[in-house]
Amino acid sequence: MRILAPAGFQARTAARKRIHWTPFLFLAPYLFLFVSLRLLPSLIGLTISFTNWSAVGVPQWVGLANYQALFIDPRFRDALTNTVIFTAMAVPALVGLGLAFALFLNQPHQGRGLGRVAVFTPYVIMPTVVGVLWTWILEKDFGLLNVLLGRQIPWLVSPSWAMLGLVLAAVWSMVGYNTVLFLAGLQDIPAELYEAARIDGAGAWRSFWSLTLPLLAPTAFLVLMLTIINTFQVFDLVYVMTSGGPGTSTLTMVQYVYTTAFQFFKFGYGSAVAMVMFVILVIVALIQTRAYRRGLESIY
Amino acid sequence: MQTGNVRWMSLLVIVVLLVAGCAAPVAPPAGETAAQQPAAPEGVVTLEFWGGWTGPDANTMQAIVDRYNAEHPNVRVNLSMQAWSPLFDAFIAASSAGSAPDILAMHPQELAQFVHLGLILPLDDIIANSEVIKPENYLENAWEGNKVDGKLYGVPLDLHMHGLFYNKAAFEKAGVPVPPSTPPVNRDEFMEMAKRLTIDANGKSAAEEGFDANNIVQYAINAHTNHHAFFQWWSLYNQLGGQLISEDGKSCAMDLDKAAQAWQFLQDLVYVHKVAPQGQTDYPRDFLDGRTAMLVDGPWRIPQLEQAAAESGFQWGATQYPNIFGGEFAVWGSGHNFTLPSKADPNKQAAAVAFLEWMAANSAEWAKSGQLPAFKAILESEEFQQMEGRAPFIASMPYEKLFPATPKYNEIFASNAPTPMMVMAQRIMLEAADPAAEVKTACEAISAILATP
Repeated sequence: MRILAPAGFQARTAARKRIHWTPFLFLAPYLFLFVSLRLLPSLIGLTISFTNWSAVGVPQWVGLANYQALFIDPRFRDALTNTVIFTAMAVPALVGLGLAFALFLNQPHQGRGLGRVAVFTPYVIMPTVVGVLWTWILEKDFGLLNVLLGRQIPWLVSPSWAMLGLVLAAVWSMVGYNTVLFLAGLQDIPAELYEAARIDGAGAWRSFWSLTLPLLAPTAFLVLMLTIINTFQVFDLVYVMTSGGPGTSTLTMVQYVYTTAFQFFKFGYGSAVAMVMFVILVIVALIQTRAYRRGLESIY
Repeated sequence: MQTGNVRWMSLLVIVVLLVAGCAAPVAPPAGETAAQQPAAPEGVVTLEFWGGWTGPDANTMQAIVDRYNAEHPNVRVNLSMQAWSPLFDAFIAASSAGSAPDILAMHPQELAQFVHLGLILPLDDIIANSEVIKPENYLENAWEGNKVDGKLYGVPLDLHMHGLFYNKAAFEKAGVPVPPSTPPVNRDEFMEMAKRLTIDANGKSAAEEGFDANNIVQYAINAHTNHHAFFQWWSLYNQLGGQLISEDGKSCAMDLDKAAQAWQFLQDLVYVHKVAPQGQTDYPRDFLDGRTAMLVDGPWRIPQLEQAAAESGFQWGATQYPNIFGGEFAVWGSGHNFTLPSKADPNKQAAAVAFLEWMAANSAEWAKSGQLPAFKAILESEEFQQMEGRAPFIASMPYEKLFPATPKYNEIFASNAPTPMMVMAQRIMLEAADPAAEVKTACEAISAILATP
């Protein structure tokens, strides 16, 4: 079996004569799912966003009308603003706490196993269940959180508190995933490096700043990227806990896509919102990748 | 290992995955109920019946359908239930896939948008020969509420509207006489009750000197912060004789002064008179636990109150929704109906009509869920009229005001979306926003929605 062909003209002609199908066969299940469940629906969505399709009947081409309407739609502006606020609040907490938990749970101490389970368990609970659970925790009069705080904060029924309530629930349910990723990153750092640092006279802080953080940078980048993408697409929690309310205070982008498409039967308009969201996420990802490359260059 | 083997195994894996992927059945809208039903034998007409009941009324409806199936061996009605909003999502998806249910329950005000999408059959021809489903057998406003552009699209099942429940013990303790079940109390009577039933930590009522508004232990009445807030507004606005949508259905026709006046009354209960709590979420629980002495809610609450009475001796009574503005009484209301989504199988249509006829004749069973039957023979029966707590609701039936039928119903009224009505209600009731400004904003938003084709 010849997989690695020698470089050069001869090999290329050989490759032209005989295509190696095996790698493609291994890729095929993923590619099939990717194309059928991601790529095609996205392309169909893009097409629908130029129509006034209402899920039944024949869609009519309306050109850029949906996109034009977006710019003057106050609800779309609310959704975009709220999503940015939610992301801005949740991402630092998710990344910071994820790292903190990982550092703590990477230490050899008694509660390590239990701690790892406790931090990760919320992540495997269905978001709808998390939503119902947190609706109770955040209840104004008898909710666990208010009882603990000894106050009566109207978490989900006040436009000024509702977003924070959602962020708490989101951080609780998603931080475990980041913790696990950070833990894996930490365990990839060779112990010899710490040993060498210690011999050179570095204290705990010094080795954290000069060893752990730089070597964790690739993991941190991955975590940051995934967290931004995930929080930007928050839906289940919003749907269960507030439906975007009170008023429009927690209306997020995906909630608005769902609302316009599935509740108002405006699939064309909903698709346009989704496309705008897609473009925003691509731009964010590009900026991050670029910043990451530059960051790596400065470290190494 | 031979390359050939690898290839074949990969291929096998792919085939298995593909088959597994394709064979996954389309999920039926309801979990348990659909799964339990075995396949119908040959020669039996199967009717798919979807409804959005998820509370105790789901069990009531299931029991009724089970009885029908037991009595009719040639027909099998498969009842699938899930909450209304996802039910309609599933309905839209199923309709575009050509597998709409044979019978779909909904609320009359939702009809127009599905009719507009071409998903519901007009019934006039289908029921032409029915001896049971005829206008004279139904309450007039229930029947008329199922018409869109003059054509009948739904068969009414029941009506429901707001009423006023009260805690007898709280009235007794405050020395306030309980209101009669009819007629509705007027504004002065209502405010008198409201003030005397709002009690602070020192036992003083809001009607007394030295009342401490910062330490209230019992409020007189709940203050809705969900869609029921604009349901209440609709009652009050209609008592002032308001209209919402223009005759041509293309713009908002709200009388802004009256609209603001109706909101002001509700807002003042919370922020000026302090007889209703701010930011309330669980109205029935607060009522049952004695934190509010009265509860504005619909007859669907009755079974829960009956249960509390049986289990813990909770003493409750009911009267009509108050007539605050003194003109002709009006109260928000809605109901349930049956529709036949587009399908051209005459066999199934005939079976569906027969099922709906039987439902009408047996709607007394359904009335136990608290709903008020729209079928006159049952509504007027001794058995129903005697049921506890129903009298004020029955008296309100002719005064029930439905939301206007518009193809844009969800865009204006949906309760779990940032619709103009929800935003207006929550801004006014939760943020104490100025009603005059909010009704203007809402009216402009409604006009914009109605103007788009």
